[in-house]
Amino acid sequence: MSRAADNTPAVCPRCRSTTTAVRSTSPVAGVWTVFGCTTCFYAWRSTEPEENSSPDTYPAVFRLRPEQLANLPVSPSIPPIRRRSSGQR
Amino acid sequence: MRAYADLREFLSVLQQERQLLHITEPVSLEPDVAAAACALTQLGEASPAIEFTNLLGYANARLVMNVHGSWPNHALALGMDKRAPLRDQFFEFARRYRQYPGDLERMASAPWHDVVVDGDVNLYDLMPLFRVNRGDGGYFIDKPCVISRDPDDWDNDDVENVGVYRLQVKGRNRLGLQAVPQHDIAIQLAHAEERDEDLPVAIALGNEPIITLMAATPMLYDQLEYKMAAVMQGKPYRVVKTAKGLDVPWGSEYVLEGRILARQREPEGPFGEFPGYYSGCHRYPVIEIDRVSHRKDPIYDAVYVGRPWTELDFLQAMTTSVPLFVQVNATFPEVVAVNALYTHGLVVIVSTRTRYGGFAKAVGMRVMTTPHGLGYAKIVIVVDADVDPFDLKQVMWAMSVKVNPAGDVMIVPNLPVNLLDPAGQPGGMAHKMIIDATTPIAPDVRGHYGQELDTPQRTDAWRHRLAALMEELEP
Repeated sequence: MSRAADNTPAVCPRCRSTTTAVRSTSPVAGVWTVFGCTTCFYAWRSTEPEENSSPDTYPAVFRLRPEQLANLPVSPSIPPIRRRSSGQR
Repeated sequence: MRAYADLREFLSVLQQERQLLHITEPVSLEPDVAAAACALTQLGEASPAIEFTNLLGYANARLVMNVHGSWPNHALALGMDKRAPLRDQFFEFARRYRQYPGDLERMASAPWHDVVVDGDVNLYDLMPLFRVNRGDGGYFIDKPCVISRDPDDWDNDDVENVGVYRLQVKGRNRLGLQAVPQHDIAIQLAHAEERDEDLPVAIALGNEPIITLMAATPMLYDQLEYKMAAVMQGKPYRVVKTAKGLDVPWGSEYVLEGRILARQREPEGPFGEFPGYYSGCHRYPVIEIDRVSHRKDPIYDAVYVGRPWTELDFLQAMTTSVPLFVQVNATFPEVVAVNALYTHGLVVIVSTRTRYGGFAKAVGMRVMTTPHGLGYAKIVIVVDADVDPFDLKQVMWAMSVKVNPAGDVMIVPNLPVNLLDPAGQPGGMAHKMIIDATTPIAPDVRGHYGQELDTPQRTDAWRHRLAALMEELEP
């Protein structure tokens, strides 16, 4: 999942972070590449319509801004760790 | 009743019954796969399943969609005649559901043991993943059976869980898991996280049609989906144990084994969801996959979700209606049938006999207070026992003439509703409404219902006679 020097887009179409990387390439070589963002976990394929693959045409309604990412609701909530007892598996 | 050994056997039956299309020409993963599946939902009430065998970028991937996506397919899944009316499918589903529990048949090996990828898993290579809706945050495995056990009660099979929870593919072996607190798996994850331990999971993909329906059914925490599947198919349900001790369907196409990482949450979503709106983004649990097993030339089964109705609505149709019916009928045996087909039961239509004035409103309140009703049942329509709740023409007649809003509409303020309901204000809260469309009876003496039309004498005999003649007309 390393950053490919060649054609990896510089920014994520959705959150505009620069944390983009190649996720995988098509099993039949040269057909498509899947890219992903390690900040917002958006993923897109090189062959998708431009609204999904280009920051310039990505629909505003689906954009994620840093302040939104920082305040996403957590579900389910993480419980406190139990104190260990001898009966525990 | 019929027990399909696996998805392949069911697909061959769909083929025989002319309920399966094959697309052998090259198809792009986006936008064509979702577009084709969406188009199927626009082609009438009997839409077939569809198989793609030439997906661009894959040498030999096989993808099926809309496997459960029509009433004929749903009837065939239950081993019924594909022309079985909705009402018959409901009563047959309910009859079998009440026979819980059935048995498991434990097998030593399974066809999915054929190919094993241990370590260095790349999900993008192994299955044809694709975007369903343009605003989806990525590629989702959206028709999985996720299997887990309770770390606090590990050897108790009855609390083992099989659930359909959407999975976002975030990396070659990394998934996001949607688990809201009401889900059974959230209870098990909480127990694991209290221990600061990962929760082992197995993810079974490409299954015979019954277990997927059971995994989508809101059953009780101590009811095992496999034991319900056994009574639904009339035969013990075949399972195989993984190394971690999780029971997996014998017939699955793919089995992914991994762990929900303890105490981690990551951005997930959005995903176009069953109300016909996107889910929004949340920080949800994360799964790491350690190993994938699959059959030779595995078949990947996915569901299209769009504005209802789509295949998803069939997966949560009888599977929602029947548990609600069984629970409400246990309190009020007067209840005849429950139609919770609409948007997972956000609207529920219940038909009931009434014992005295106001009775129907109490039945409506009982629907709202079932476990599923707490998060759904936003609008409950109560009709008389002689109105088929699955026949909307009859329901609309009852609404037209039995309802006087002055006394028949009840609004109950500020009740819980599923977070995915876009009408919630704030999200997760809504007023709910009961519409009493039953005939008022004493001491409720409102209206003028003394002279209702009925059918001429000997109509039933004529119906049988004419139906037979009409059958002869068919080619």
